[in-house]
This record gives sequence, C-alpha cells and structure tokens, in this order.
Amino acid sequence: MNRILIPFLLFLLLILEGIALDLLPVSLVSGELQLVPHWVLLCLILKMMFFDREDANGSVIYGFVFGFLIDVVYTGVLGVYMFSYALVIYIMHGLIKVLHANFYAATLIGVIGVVLADVFINLMYSVAGISEVVWNDYLIYRMLPTALANGLFLVFLYPLLVSRFVKWKEQRGSGGSAYF
Amino acid sequence: MTFFRKKRLFILLIGLIVLVAMIGYSLRDREDLTTAEQFIKDTVGWSQSIVHKPVDYVTTVFENIDDLRNTYHENQLLREKIAEYKSLFYDVQKLKEENVELRELLEKKKSIRSYTPIQASVISRSPEQWMDQVTINKGKQDGVSANMAVITSEGMIGKVETASPFTSTVKLLSGFDQFSRISATIAREEGKDIFGMIEGYDEKTGNLVFKIIEESDKDLKEDELVFSSGMGGVFPSGLPIGNVKEVKPDQYGLTRTAFVEPVADMYDINSVIVVEREQTDDNNDDSEKDEAS
Repeated sequence: MNRILIPFLLFLLLILEGIALDLLPVSLVSGELQLVPHWVLLCLILKMMFFDREDANGSVIYGFVFGFLIDVVYTGVLGVYMFSYALVIYIMHGLIKVLHANFYAATLIGVIGVVLADVFINLMYSVAGISEVVWNDYLIYRMLPTALANGLFLVFLYPLLVSRFVKWKEQRGSGGSAYF
Repeated sequence: MTFFRKKRLFILLIGLIVLVAMIGYSLRDREDLTTAEQFIKDTVGWSQSIVHKPVDYVTTVFENIDDLRNTYHENQLLREKIAEYKSLFYDVQKLKEENVELRELLEKKKSIRSYTPIQASVISRSPEQWMDQVTINKGKQDGVSANMAVITSEGMIGKVETASPFTSTVKLLSGFDQFSRISATIAREEGKDIFGMIEGYDEKTGNLVFKIIEESDKDLKEDELVFSSGMGGVFPSGLPIGNVKEVKPDQYGLTRTAFVEPVADMYDINSVIVVEREQTDDNNDDSEKDEAS
C-alpha cells in the first residue's frame, strides 16, 4: 500500500509547489525576496529518517526521479534539481546516523538539507549563466528566506507525516523490500 | 573498503558527466521538447489544473474581501472614466469602419495589428524564481505554438517558451534577456514614431530595458506608453508593454535607453490570452527573424 502512497504523496507535493507562490501575498512574492519551496526534498528527508532502514538508499532514487520531474515541469534545465536532491539526500543519509530521529533532529537535518540543495542549485545555475547574482545578495535575498520558509513548512509537515511513516514502518515489519 | 570508495567515486564522476551533458542539452537552442518531456508536462499539468481550481477559489475569496474595502473609492473613479469612454467609443467605432473601408479599397485585408486570440488560464507558476515562467492550460491542440505573445487585459506579459499538446510554458517579461527581444515603439504624430528594441529586464529596478535605435525624436517623456511595433515579424503590433520611467544615454552616448515599467502585473495572473499573429498579405517579414527566438 505505502509503495503507491509515498510516490503519490511526493507527486502531490510536486504539484502543490507550483501553486505555492499563488498562496502567498503578492507583496511578498513580487519583492526582491525569493522563497523557493523544496517540499519534495523535505518529505524525502522525513521519509528517510522515519521510514527507511538504515542501509536503504531508496530515498536517493526517489530524489533522483522527483528532482528530474521538477526539472522538466518547472525549469526546463534538466539535471539540476535531479542531482542536487539525490546528492543532498545521500549526504544527509550519512549524517542521520549520528542523530536520534526526533523532532529537533528532523528540523535541523531538513533545514541543512534545504540550504545545501539550494546552494548546489544556485551554483549550477550560476555556472550555466541562468542566475547572475552576487553570492552576498544570494545569501540575504534567497537562502535565508528559503531556509526559513521551508523550516516553517517542515514544522507543519512533521505531525502530518511522521506518525504515518512510523506506522507504515511497523506494518512493513521484517519482510518487504529493503529499498522502497 | 577501497572497492567501495572506488565505486562511489566512479558513480560521482559518471553523475557529473551526465549532469553536464544534460544541462548542455537542455540549454541548447531547441526547436521542440522531446516527447517524454511533453508527456510529463501534460500529465503534471492535467493534475495541476484539478488541484488549482479549489485553491484558486479560496484565494479569490480572500482577494474579494480585500477588494471590498476599496470599492467605494474605485467606483467613483470608474464612473468618471465611463463618461469619458462613451465619447471615445463612438470615435473608435467610426475609425474602425473607416479603416475597414480603406483596407478594402487597398485590397489589403489583414494588417500586422490583427491577431487571433486564444483564451487560457494559468495553472502553475515555477517555484524556481530564476525562471520566471508559468504554465497555461492550452497547448498545440488549441493552436498555441512557441514564440507567440501572451497578454492579459492590461498588456503584454510574455511569450510562449515551449508548447506541449495540452499545456504550454510561458516566459514572463521579467525573464527576458538579449536572446528574446521585442521590437517596440512609442506612437507619435506624423511619422515621428520612436522605434527600438526591448532588450531585457533590469532585476534591480524591475523595469524593462528599451534601447532606442531610430535616430528620431528623442525627447521622451515619462509615462509615455510603449507598444509592440510588430516589425519583428513575430508579435503583432499594438500590444501595450509598459510606461517609460526613466531615460538614460548609454555608455558611449550614441543611443539612449529608456527604462520601461511593465503595465501588466506579473505576479497576479489568472487568465491570459495567447496571441496568434495572422499572416499578413505581403510576406516580407523575414527581415528580423531573431525576434523572440
């Protein structure tokens, strides 16, 4: 069951990302601030912390696939989100082994993940010549607001998802696939 | 241990090569998207149009409450405007009739002003804000194709970047660069029109950069309306683009650059019109093919 539900959930978040900016007041979006939703990444990080086995790499593959979808649907520059998400989830996978899986750790990992992914994305865009922004400006106008907004969203997402992930993990028990 | 290290390094390197290849491939001047991309875009677009409806409903309710507060003031203003429009409407009607008659005399039915409108609504906006693009719910099946101009009731907002069968991606004016130019004009009396090109967008001030190429009358005033001129052969003429905010000479003092504030709101877009330029009778529009390409 959760084999279908998790991709569906990620797909739903992917769709909602496209509507996210309509929900915010225009004055906030039209200014210099850039708020970029990385909801798919946040959901994958939660899944990795509370659902995956310790040695499973399924989330990296999910990051790869859904990052690619974001590239195709929203940006048209293929590969940028795909590799950033996959790489960040891989790095975070190494990092969560030293932390207990609780709310504070999830927030910390989530915010670090979002910041890392956004820096990677911006780095690739500036190499490709799409964004021409000074790194100082990037820090103030994009990275900080993005990290804050996504952190808030994570706090909102945590109670909705984590209990389900834990339940599914128990249901799965010892059997089932080690990867997804 | 060494085996795993090597494997990881190997994957990372292969990944980097694939990444560079993919970015290079997608940044190339592509005529059309691959079938897979079109399919993904249409599928996601279809699901978005379902989700978008209730969300749109909720946001409009909030907007309506917000609007209610200004209603009285706006109403008074609009009443005054309507009185002006009545006489203007009569004039326009007469001019239109005259225009049709004259065209028939000349046996030149279509001008570069005429276009076929395709109504569409916005279903999503790219969360990546470097991109400045939105998705609309009309595609190739409805007659949309790449490089068509997109307008709202206020004025021009952008052009179609790519079209899939059922959805298409619109690049907003705020994402325009020197590769997507618009030939534009400021209308003056007696052939003293000012011509130029919109050559990009200034992020800092939020204005379009309008380079005046014609050595014509140069005393630009603020708040003059800039229209598309239709000279580029891609967009029809007469689409309002923006108001002149500031005029500056360029660094060599040879040409002058006007900063133009777009008339249409780039952030609060719901329904748009895709403008398909009708083929003019005299097909001499291969002069400036590079417009909007």
